[in-house]
Amino acid sequence: MSKCRQSSASSRRSFLKGAGLVGAAAAVAPPVAADAAPAAPQPDLKAALPGPTQTAVETLSPSNDPANQTSSGGDYMADVLNSLGIEYLAINCASSYRGLHEAVINHSNNKPEIITCVHEDIAVHMAQGYAKIEGKPMAMACHGVVGLQHATMAMYNAWCDRVPVLVFGGNIIEADKRAPGAEWLHSGVDIGQIVREFTKWDDQPASLTHFGESTVRAYKIATTPPMGPVFIALDAELQENPIPDPESLRIPKFAPVIPPQGDAGAIAEAAKMLIEAQNPIIVCDRVARTPAGMANLVTLAEALQCGVIDNAGRMNFPSRHPLNQSFRRALIGQADVILALEMNDLWGTLTHFSDRIVRRSAPATKSGAKLITLGSRDLFLKSNYQDFGRWQNIDLDIAGDAEASLPALTEAVKRLTDDAKRSAFDARGKKLAAAHLAMIEQSKTDATVGWDASPITTARMCAEVYAQIKNEDWSVVGTTIRLSWPHRLWDFTRPYQWNGSSGGAGVGYNLPASLGAALANKKHGRFTLAFGGDGDFMFNPGALWTAAHHQIPILYIVQNNRAYHQEYMYLIAMAARHGRDVTKMDIGTTLKDPNIDYATVARGMGVHGEGPITDPKDLGPALTRAIAAVKSGQPAVVDVVTDPR
Amino acid sequence: MKTIRQIARIACAVALLAAAASMTARAQDAPSGDAANGKRLYLADGCFTCHGRAGQGGAYNGPAPRLAQTIMPFDGFKGQIRNPVNDMPAFSDANLSDKDIADIFAFVRSLPGPRSAKDIAILNN
Repeated sequence: MSKCRQSSASSRRSFLKGAGLVGAAAAVAPPVAADAAPAAPQPDLKAALPGPTQTAVETLSPSNDPANQTSSGGDYMADVLNSLGIEYLAINCASSYRGLHEAVINHSNNKPEIITCVHEDIAVHMAQGYAKIEGKPMAMACHGVVGLQHATMAMYNAWCDRVPVLVFGGNIIEADKRAPGAEWLHSGVDIGQIVREFTKWDDQPASLTHFGESTVRAYKIATTPPMGPVFIALDAELQENPIPDPESLRIPKFAPVIPPQGDAGAIAEAAKMLIEAQNPIIVCDRVARTPAGMANLVTLAEALQCGVIDNAGRMNFPSRHPLNQSFRRALIGQADVILALEMNDLWGTLTHFSDRIVRRSAPATKSGAKLITLGSRDLFLKSNYQDFGRWQNIDLDIAGDAEASLPALTEAVKRLTDDAKRSAFDARGKKLAAAHLAMIEQSKTDATVGWDASPITTARMCAEVYAQIKNEDWSVVGTTIRLSWPHRLWDFTRPYQWNGSSGGAGVGYNLPASLGAALANKKHGRFTLAFGGDGDFMFNPGALWTAAHHQIPILYIVQNNRAYHQEYMYLIAMAARHGRDVTKMDIGTTLKDPNIDYATVARGMGVHGEGPITDPKDLGPALTRAIAAVKSGQPAVVDVVTDPR
Repeated sequence: MKTIRQIARIACAVALLAAAASMTARAQDAPSGDAANGKRLYLADGCFTCHGRAGQGGAYNGPAPRLAQTIMPFDGFKGQIRNPVNDMPAFSDANLSDKDIADIFAFVRSLPGPRSAKDIAILNN
């Protein structure tokens, strides 16, 4: 056996050698000069005998297997995506969807525009951030097995955040069509199974007609409140091979679902309860899904002259509106009627909870307070992951999309408001407005503490940023854990100036999702900025390369406290509870020794980098330079070394 | 067993009573402390992680109050460390002695408090 191998190898080497010699001689032989010295006798060069493959190529008739085709299923798939108005397809390239990838480039002239990402988590998070600004989904594609596993964390964030994202994963359904090796590793019987608990719907189409209908259905399901991510498995054969019967293929017609309004009788009852209340309050989280949402909520709050406590899952309510009481949560305990709109964590918002040895909870509401809920969240729930939160007793539970239902509720309130009530409401509104102004002044005073300190306080950081962007058409699309200064001090008035947070609190969201939001803002000419933690940054730093490659302008400020700081605090609490050493809780919770230089990381990806900034006096000039870069169309990172919170 | 709301009400009452006391009385209440050692403990034992290195306040599970120039009397300060009314970790004498707490109190009382926001132009946008 060994001998045979040697013999075979020897023959092959001889063949290559001979061929190589011939080739090399032809390539490098100098022109024969007339006066050249007589050449030495040359060996008799002979090519080796052709092997069986070469012999077959030269002697047999061409194969009947077709080598070219004039249509491909991928072309139809690209047409379907374009029929839905999908602007972008974020990808990390993968052979299991190469048919679609090539079709998007050549058949539809790079429409949807391909956004090259270096990780599937980045691609999905970009789509999440994009959808919350643009109000419609974009798509991403990945290997259906190994790529989808990378994508899962971001899909879970999108699920918890109730954001539509179209995820496509390549697969090779028929076993006899899989090549040896990786195609078996990258194929599955039911590849959507791992994301089924945190997607609204998924399918694995077995024909192109099936693909068209399922993709349009997926889009419809994803964009119908409560929104969420969907998944479609793409069979490689369907993508790559000719369309069997082009004449019979049709692109299904998409008609958006009109979001459901709350029942008219229930809305009237809610209006009556709110009108009769002495101290009603509105709590909200994800009300605004279009630019109309904020305006609708303002109109209702003004009709009632009641306070609004905004959990800021979306841009629900202007930050400096006199009725914005988001930083006066004690009002919840004074309210006799609470209207809760599109709440994510209703129980948590209305409850005092103690993170102690014995975990106790008690209502933050006063005894006898009535609770009205209006929202679509509970219309679609799943069992395994517990993002639905704890049970909350409700007096009037109205199923319906809050944004769509608010005009009817407002009209009902206005119909029931007589002059006496109007007078009482106005008096109530004046008190709330005064308290709101006092809150702002208190925030400003609070912000002065440690103003010149190094590390830089988060208040100083936010004030320096706002001073330089306040006259831009700005949109802040990311924040760090519990960074409240922008909402305390900045003037949020426009629907795109805020887009909420991760949803699932899965780390790694902020940088790529902010980039996706910036992608949406780009064509509108808005100035996009985001704050992000250093821990979050390190999950997906590769997003910066995508920002540079696609020239997506964004000012990204790294709040660099050199720690997974929330966990750092938790560890101190654990050690203190146990009466043990609290001084070593930086082990495993901090990002130091060595410190990470995020500006250098950024520059390495082709992004403008400033910092690390440790002296607050240096922050303003660094921001000026970074903002100039962003306004020229580039992404920029400013690394600000900050105090923890 | 007291509920959280009851505890919170008691804490509020204590705080109000404390606030009613004069600054002189508070100064007299406070034992002499070593602010330099207090700073060392404040940083080493992680007080800064929630309340900030400048004592400006911050957040844990909820807001963590400002400590710079605190008007809380020493007994209230110590009580909050030993048996907090909210999610703040309780530090027993295994972690902080009474002397340590006095030193930390001296340190946070020595920190500059708030300035007038009107003097900082960019806070008035």
